[in-house]
Amino acid sequence: MQDQPRENRRSRFLTLPAILVVAVVTQVPILVTLALSFVRWIVVRPDLGISFTGIGNYFLLFTDPDFYAVVLQTIELTLVSLIACTILGLFFALLLNRDFFGVNVVRTLIISPFFVMDAVAGIIWKTLILHPSFGFNGYIAAFFHTKPIDFFGAYSLLTVILLTVWQWTPFFILIILAGLQGISEEILDSAKVDGAGWFRTLFSIKIPSIYNHIEVAMMLGTIFILKVFGLIYVTTSGGPGVSSTNLAYYVYRVAFYGWDVGRAAAIAIVTAVLTLIAIMALFRFFQRRFKEWEV
Amino acid sequence: MSAKRIRHVLLVIFIYILCLAYFFPILYMILTSFKPETQVIPPRFIFTPTLENYRQVLNPDILNYLKNSALVSVITTIACIVVGIPASYAIVFGKLKKPDNLFFWFLSTTLLPPVSVVIPVYLIARYTHLLDTRFFLVLMYSGANIPIVIWMVRSFLKDVPREILEAATIDGCSRVRSFFRIIVPLTQIGITSTALLVFIFVWNEFFFAINLTYVHAATIPVYMASYMTQEGLFWAKLSAISTVTVLPPLVLGWIAHKSLVRGLTLGAVKG
Repeated sequence: MQDQPRENRRSRFLTLPAILVVAVVTQVPILVTLALSFVRWIVVRPDLGISFTGIGNYFLLFTDPDFYAVVLQTIELTLVSLIACTILGLFFALLLNRDFFGVNVVRTLIISPFFVMDAVAGIIWKTLILHPSFGFNGYIAAFFHTKPIDFFGAYSLLTVILLTVWQWTPFFILIILAGLQGISEEILDSAKVDGAGWFRTLFSIKIPSIYNHIEVAMMLGTIFILKVFGLIYVTTSGGPGVSSTNLAYYVYRVAFYGWDVGRAAAIAIVTAVLTLIAIMALFRFFQRRFKEWEV
Repeated sequence: MSAKRIRHVLLVIFIYILCLAYFFPILYMILTSFKPETQVIPPRFIFTPTLENYRQVLNPDILNYLKNSALVSVITTIACIVVGIPASYAIVFGKLKKPDNLFFWFLSTTLLPPVSVVIPVYLIARYTHLLDTRFFLVLMYSGANIPIVIWMVRSFLKDVPREILEAATIDGCSRVRSFFRIIVPLTQIGITSTALLVFIFVWNEFFFAINLTYVHAATIPVYMASYMTQEGLFWAKLSAISTVTVLPPLVLGWIAHKSLVRGLTLGAVKG
């Protein structure tokens, strides 16, 4: 056996490249973002120069009604999608957790939207399915002699939510199904013998057993749904106005359209803080519930 | 008995219809990609199939985007595996002082929204003339995906019985040798599915691609996003290029989804 310090050095050496790359790509930039958020720097206005404004950017942000609208929409988008994905995911997982002819094909089909890139998913829905004149939307409306639904105007945020749910439910199905398949047959059989009905079995055995899986799906789902960007970019471009803009898209607009670096950095920092709060709140919630169930 | 049988059949038919409806947008995209451009509007299911769209769509211009996507995805995947696996190995089997702290640090970086890093990253790329290069995309994607590799591979490594490794050491087997002869064969499926997941994530990545590339290094999602403005209503061609674009991740996802779920859930459930 080799001596401890040398072993320790060798282990550290193995982790070094990973730490280096991850730190350079994530940790350093976020510190720079934090620094930039205290600076006034509008790239397309070189005459103004770069100057320190303290919390000026944050102050302007918190007095801007657009910003509040965007924050609320981000919360709405994330929360509604998360709840819908969990319920639909559980529903489909329960349906697919049985043996029937072609079950593997059916499972394969239903998880597919998860692997389709958001740019393509957005475009296909926007054109072939929801287009008010030439898509199914217009066709069905013409068939019933009604006006097509205005998916990209009045209901733009709802449309973004719909597409997000369509893309992310398969992920929830995958994980919840894995949990359901891990429940031992014996427990289910003995529940049946004891006369437990379908609902009783679901709420007293199945859901508590897959609690961890639901938690994992919801945590990862939150992280991913908070950064939804491509779908918005190709379908509504955040509009009309800012009605379907989330924080991720808002940063993009301010940074790469307005070239207001300081302001964009401030929004980015707020986004990061909100993300952390959301994850921590969710984590707390699960820990508390988990204890209740264990007792 | 027969009433039960009928209920079962009805339920299965219900499941078929439901799943087909869920898959419908993708199915209809594939159907449309074989339609002549004149038969796309209004929506229909009977048409004269043609390969003309694919013939037109697979031109050098679009092939260049696909080439960028393939190169960036493959190189990033290899880089993530080569850098991520030794780190997970050290975290699980090494003699680090606080392996869990390091592991949670890696995990915490995945919580960072990409928008919170994109501005400095863009500025750095611009001033170092790395904007619109494949190298820079690979670097960004590696940083974003190495934590995912560490997360998943760690759970697979934890499943390797330590007794086997100890026995191998006693028999005089070196660390490197026992890694390749024992650990790799035992965790092969897990590592493969991790690699496939990284490939899928990178292939589909849109946010950094659209902000950090223009022409030279642009990947296929960037092209897709610009299609609407450039080509307007040529929906059959749009469907053909979409089908080509989603096929690689779709097929890989179908192959890998079982072990993928295992990696994701094990990593989190076991903590």
